[in-house]
Parts: sequence; C-alpha cells; structure tokens
Amino acid sequence: MKNYEILEHISDLKIRAFGRTKEEVFSNMLLGMCGNQKTKVLPGKVKREIKISSPELSSLLVDFLSEILYLTQVNKEVYSEVNFKKFTDTELKAELVGQKVERFGEDIKGVTYHSLDIHQKKDGTWQAIVLFDI
Amino acid sequence: MEKKDFKKINDYLWEIPQSFRKDMRAPARIYASEKLFREVEDEALIQLVNTTTMPGIVKYAIAMPDIHSGYGPPIGGVGAMKYPEGVISPGFVGYDENCGVRLLLSEYTEEEIKPYLDKLAAEVQKSVPSGLGRGRQTKLSITQIDKILEGGVPRLVEQGYGEKEDIENCEEKGKMPQADASCVSERAKMRGRDQVGTLGSGNHFCSLERVDEIFDEKIAKVFGLYKNQVVVMIHTGSRGFGHQNCTDYLRVVMQALPQYNIKLPDKELACVPFNSPEGQRFFKAMSAACNFAWSNRHMIMHYVRKAWKDVLGEKANLRLLYDVAHNIAKVEEHELDGKKMKLIVHRKGATRAFPPGHPEIPEKYRETGQPAILPGSMGTPSYVLAGIEESKEAWNTVAHGAGRAMSRHAAMRAVRGEEVVRRLKEKGILIKCRSMRGIAEEAPLAYKDVNEVVEVVHNAGLSKKVAKLIPLAVIKGE
Repeated sequence: MKNYEILEHISDLKIRAFGRTKEEVFSNMLLGMCGNQKTKVLPGKVKREIKISSPELSSLLVDFLSEILYLTQVNKEVYSEVNFKKFTDTELKAELVGQKVERFGEDIKGVTYHSLDIHQKKDGTWQAIVLFDI
Repeated sequence: MEKKDFKKINDYLWEIPQSFRKDMRAPARIYASEKLFREVEDEALIQLVNTTTMPGIVKYAIAMPDIHSGYGPPIGGVGAMKYPEGVISPGFVGYDENCGVRLLLSEYTEEEIKPYLDKLAAEVQKSVPSGLGRGRQTKLSITQIDKILEGGVPRLVEQGYGEKEDIENCEEKGKMPQADASCVSERAKMRGRDQVGTLGSGNHFCSLERVDEIFDEKIAKVFGLYKNQVVVMIHTGSRGFGHQNCTDYLRVVMQALPQYNIKLPDKELACVPFNSPEGQRFFKAMSAACNFAWSNRHMIMHYVRKAWKDVLGEKANLRLLYDVAHNIAKVEEHELDGKKMKLIVHRKGATRAFPPGHPEIPEKYRETGQPAILPGSMGTPSYVLAGIEESKEAWNTVAHGAGRAMSRHAAMRAVRGEEVVRRLKEKGILIKCRSMRGIAEEAPLAYKDVNEVVEVVHNAGLSKKVAKLIPLAVIKGE
C-alpha cells in the first residue's frame, strides 16, 4: 500500500492518504504534508509532544495537521515520524520526531476543511483526503 | 450543474437564477467572455452557487473573470452581506488575509535602466528574502508585532520608514482602525515575528516592469505613468501571520455555527453574523492581519527603495502609485435600491476599484478614479486600471490577476523550469528564483490569458484600462 498520493487541483495541494488504521492514515497524511514543503534539512533529530482534542474525527485530522504546520513554521522543523500515545476519534497525544530545516521550498498556508474526508473502506483499510492552501 | 444552467445577460455577464437550487438565497453572476466562461471549471461554478447560501447575502454572489476553484467560495468571488446582521466569513477572505499588490513608479526609462537591470534584480533579491529560509535576521518581539497590528503603515512612516505620501497611496491608508491585537492568538504573532518584509512563495513576487502601452493619456498623466517608464510591482500578503489567524478563526466560527443555526453546503463557507461576538472578534483580528500585510508590503518597498538607491544613486526615487488588497472583508457604503447603505463586502481574489469622486480615495485620484493593479502571471503583461462608476453593480470590484488555468502539477508536467527561463530570456525577461520547480509551477501557460481578462473588465464596466506593463525582471519568492 502506498502512503499517499497527490490529486489534481488547479491551485492548491490535494492529498489522499492511506492506512491500515486511523493512526496510520494520520501519519501518512503528515508525511504528505511535510513531503510537499520541499525542505532542505539539517542533521540531528528533534522531538516534540502534541496533544489535540476536536469534536470529531475529521476535525481531529485538520487540527492535528494545523498544529504540526504551526510547529513546523515557528520552530523551522519538519517531522517524519509520529508515535501516538493516545488516539480516539476526538483526542490524541503523540510524539513527533523530525529534523531542523534550513530552507522550505514551498509555503503551505493552511489546512482546509474543503472536500475533507476520512473513512474506512470495505476492505477495512482507511483513507483520507485533505486540501491544503498553498 | 452545467454551464447551460447559466443564462447570458450580455456579452460579458452570465447568471444562474436563485430558483436553480433550493438553498440559494440569491442568484449568482459571472463576468466573463464566451471564451473565459467556457474555460471555468465546474467545481468553481459549484463553489459560486454555494456562496449564495450565506445568510444575509445581498443581490447576488459575484465572480470576476479570473475565477477558479479554491475552498469555500471560489477565487475571484465577491459577496456583500447586510450590515450588521449579515455574515462575515474567514473562508471568504482566504488564508492569506490582505494578499495584495502595490506599484512603485521610477523616474527612469527602460533604456536608462537596461545597463543596471541585472544588478538591480540581484540587489532586490538579496534585500527582500522569501522568508522560507531563516526569515529576516531580526525577530520582532510580541510587543513590536502588536504595534504593527494596530498601527499599520502610518506607524512605520512615523518610525522613519517611507514617506507621508505612502500612507494615502494605500487602500484604507494602510491601517484598518478596527484592528485589535488582543483578538489575535499568540501563535499567529509567533509566526509573524520574523516575516515582516518577506515575500513568501507560490505566485508571490517582486518585478521590474516597463510601461508598454498607455490607453488613457489623461488618467496616466495624473497617475504619473508614461511610455517606457520603469516601474516596480510587489505582490504578497500577511504570510504565516494571516495563515494562522484564518486557521484559528475558522475553528472558532465552525464551532459557533449551530448556535446561530447556520447550515452550509461546504465547511469552508463557515460564517457567523457580523454583529455576533465571534464575528466581531474575527473582524478585529482580520483587520490586524490586514495591517500586518500592508506593513509587510511597506517594508518590502522600503528595502526595494534602498536597493534602488544603492545601485542608481541617492537621488533615485520610487514613488508609490497605489496599494490594493485582494483578499479582504470590509464595511463599505454602497447604493442598494437607490439608497446608500453599509454592507459587509467580501473580496477573495478580487480588487476594490472605487470610481471618481469617491471620498475614500486620495484627493489626487478623485477625478480619475482609484488606481487598481492587475498583475499577470510571471512573464506576461500586467495592467493598471482606474475605477469607474458602472462597477457599482459589482460593489466596485475588479479582477485580481490572470487566474490559474492549470494545476501546479500539470504545469510541471507540461514544462521544465529551465525551459521557462530560456523562453522568457528570449523575450528579454530576467527571472531570479532559487527553485526551478517553483518557476515551472508558475509558468505563463498555467494561467488564463491576462489580456482576455482585462478586455472583459474593461468592456463589462468593472474598470477602465490605463496602462499595460511588460516585465523586465521577475524576482520570485521561492
């Protein structure tokens, strides 16, 4: 199974992510978001803790990505790994592992709710679609 | 929905009636030629129809000829709401609050600048960072950010950046008085700390252009434009500050929807009554972001002026013609059924262009109408326009650019960055950008024909053509 794919969109960045579990689809969407900031990274590892709560699963996904986008931009870091310590449909706690960034090649402005989707497919795997404003 | 559901009102205007869908509160209108109308994607049309469902919308949801799909309302969308109970919507402003354009006029002709062009472009690139690397070397404190948020351009001028004249040559005089820094999150302020005076990425740029053609001699003279003159254009917005502010308030507004019993077909249309506590807080925070964006463009202008003097000598000056916002919500006075009244006007990828005699434009432009700047894509013409009376049908609004016609991916598949640079070089246009991929994504072929867009706005009575600009050098953020 591939982690994520980029869908056609005229002006923004639309990503479809896949996963065997909800956690995995969250992680893979994060990979898609971070991968598309076209970063030049510096050596060494950084770790951050996050804690999010939202009214339901799809908002939790947007809030999770918005939180990481904020950390990415303020700390100039990019994250490639997420270890969930708690995960429900309305709350999550996780540790992010990543690297410091020297330059970003693309500025993601925001994580939108437009055509937002997360659902379990017939085969039991999960899929999500998020549109990022770039 | 199909294009045939729209009826042609005249050669440049199309309408879909309110009866088309049950949840519509008004008809929707698109200003476009037959050719541009045929090119509009279906998704953008659906987004425009969705926009008509917003409570308090007056007359119709409007789209400019550069319409393309975005999220919530389309890019190029305009909507006026009843004041004060109609809605205000973060998604109808966009993540880049007060993205906009300003144009600076030099006292040189193309011939005089030619020997210095490379040096000027290099110097501008050096002094105006994209902000995607280390940002500006100076990180402002939260207190300093607060002063920018509430003081805008006038405060920067007070501190010695720029001239007094720069204030009046800016929409809203560079400061929305409603701005309240206490309505803005610490997070937004943190993101803005090292971004005042930075360009960003995507379609943001700074360019040196030459005046190629004058369409209206009389107005051009008042504006200070003449053939072969070199001018400088700056296109950027509120950077991470505005992006975070929009993110913060989308969440607030979305959670408040049930409280006001607002039901919408797309979450990104989320809106609350203007006079609700959430609506007021968003308006004050968005106004602060607008002040941040004007300050950003003002500081970029300051660095460009410095670069200009460094290369051409102390006497070389750049005068600000005007600065226009194209992602904004404002309270404006318009005529409705023969009566003047206040409306909450949203413009998302659309530019205000007030007509002659309007009290909110500088004295010197009272007879000509407000200057509006319509940038083309990288390497294609841009236009200077003047506001006219007839545009009141569209709440005195004009298009904001060429409008994308192809996705970034499709553009990259269609052409390589190196090829774009080569083709532009053949036309005598210099490109400065670190990223070849960024150049391919913004290639001229990815955009609609700007000349066609301008013909529509001119013939449809949205604005009058004053001058056409051709780029000499483009400095792209990333």
